[in-house]
Amino acid sequence: MSFDVALIVDSIPKMLMGLGLTLQLLILSAVLGLLLATVLLLMRISGKWYLDLPAQAYIYVFRGTPILVQIFIVYYGFPQLGFIRDSFLWPILREPFGCAVVALSLNTGAYVSEILRGGVLGVDRGLHEAGSALGLSAHQRFIYITTPLAVRLAIPAYSNDVVSLMKSTALASTITLLDMMGIARTIVAETYAPYEIFISLAVIYLIMTWFIQKAFGVFERFMSRHERQ
Amino acid sequence: MNIKHTLFATVLALGAMLGGAAVKAETLRVGMECTYAPFNFRNEAGELVGYDVDVAKGVAGIIKADLEYVCQKWDGMIPALLANKFDLVIASMSITEKRLEKMDFSSPYRFSIGRLVGRKGLDVELFDSAGNPNAENFKGLKVGLERASTYASWFEAKLPGADVILYDTNEALYLDLQNGRTDLIMTNPMKAYLRFLSKEDGAGFKLVGPEIDEEKYFGVGVGVGLRKGNEELRDRISAALKQLINDGSLEQYARKYFPFKLHKEEWGQ
Repeated sequence: MSFDVALIVDSIPKMLMGLGLTLQLLILSAVLGLLLATVLLLMRISGKWYLDLPAQAYIYVFRGTPILVQIFIVYYGFPQLGFIRDSFLWPILREPFGCAVVALSLNTGAYVSEILRGGVLGVDRGLHEAGSALGLSAHQRFIYITTPLAVRLAIPAYSNDVVSLMKSTALASTITLLDMMGIARTIVAETYAPYEIFISLAVIYLIMTWFIQKAFGVFERFMSRHERQ
Repeated sequence: MNIKHTLFATVLALGAMLGGAAVKAETLRVGMECTYAPFNFRNEAGELVGYDVDVAKGVAGIIKADLEYVCQKWDGMIPALLANKFDLVIASMSITEKRLEKMDFSSPYRFSIGRLVGRKGLDVELFDSAGNPNAENFKGLKVGLERASTYASWFEAKLPGADVILYDTNEALYLDLQNGRTDLIMTNPMKAYLRFLSKEDGAGFKLVGPEIDEEKYFGVGVGVGLRKGNEELRDRISAALKQLINDGSLEQYARKYFPFKLHKEEWGQ
């Protein structure tokens, strides 16, 4: 089969016009997801069953179903319910962008809370005991001992999740958003050249992944600066 | 009863044989999918019915031919015609440049057009009296279209500033129109009627604006297909179709299934 280089040169700038939207989806969902994850984490480690159980159920549901299904439920399912269309949520859920951000945040929140919990559980018990021996309260121990160590432990897994979130933003194209994937699909539908277009798009996503990995590498080194000679 | 029938049939057959010597009865074999409702499909009694079938019968009545139906899957329709499995394609086949390279078509009997669908009570003059879109009045309206469809190309050419949202399926168009995410959609009015407007979900919606039928985007329409080299038969069929348009039969066929006609009056000239 022939490989149409001119078509690639022509379509890459078009696809990059969707980069802004892809980044908006990624950053907004990552921030909201992290907030949600923190709340879920606190519920999980609160030691109170009436906080722990709902958080567990939430995480189970959102990790146990495909993100595409979640996006479709938010986008096509919610508007079927009259009370949602009359509620304050409708201005957000009316827009495909709002739906995508809501679905992506809810999904990534479930994953990230488990990653953070892994970090918290990874903090050595001995440090807690040392902390209490020094007279630190439970709150102080959590803020000054657990949090920084848990964050450092969670970084590698968290950077993985951000990369996977970035790839999930491509699913927003299924609900009419013209992110990079949406633009690529439109070009393919017009030119019948899936090979050229999707390979170019894959390269763009790979470059973005490289930047995300680099950024987290820098962050991880900063958090581990005491270990350097 | 059976005996009566047999006798009757025998008499008929004898008559046909005797008559056949005098007037040569022409039998035309017609290819169609037989599954494409409401154009050609079997009803509950197992009879072939639909708009295409009515057109075939109407034409046969005028040119005095007998019909024999051949059910053929769509992707093999043109090869089967060329292989002489049947003589005519009356199967909602659009007349296109590409097909005209291989086969011939009669004059059109059904259009390919686009119509806008919007909420009842949407009271904006979207088109001027000549039927041209009024870009100013499309401002602030979200229009749902199928990705890379003829409707999308038309919008891009005529209303480049319109707020267009692209969908992957026809069903998604209706869902989001209903949900209020779009104000208008543009699609095939026959599809819109069958799948949406005639259903409960589509009760609050109506066709908006004129028929949009520019040949450059939507093609000429649907015709009766036949092998090349049958000019005489083709011209007889075209003449018969014109007669069906002018005596109102074609509109009557359409109104069995749709609240509007499926052809243009000027095809009758």
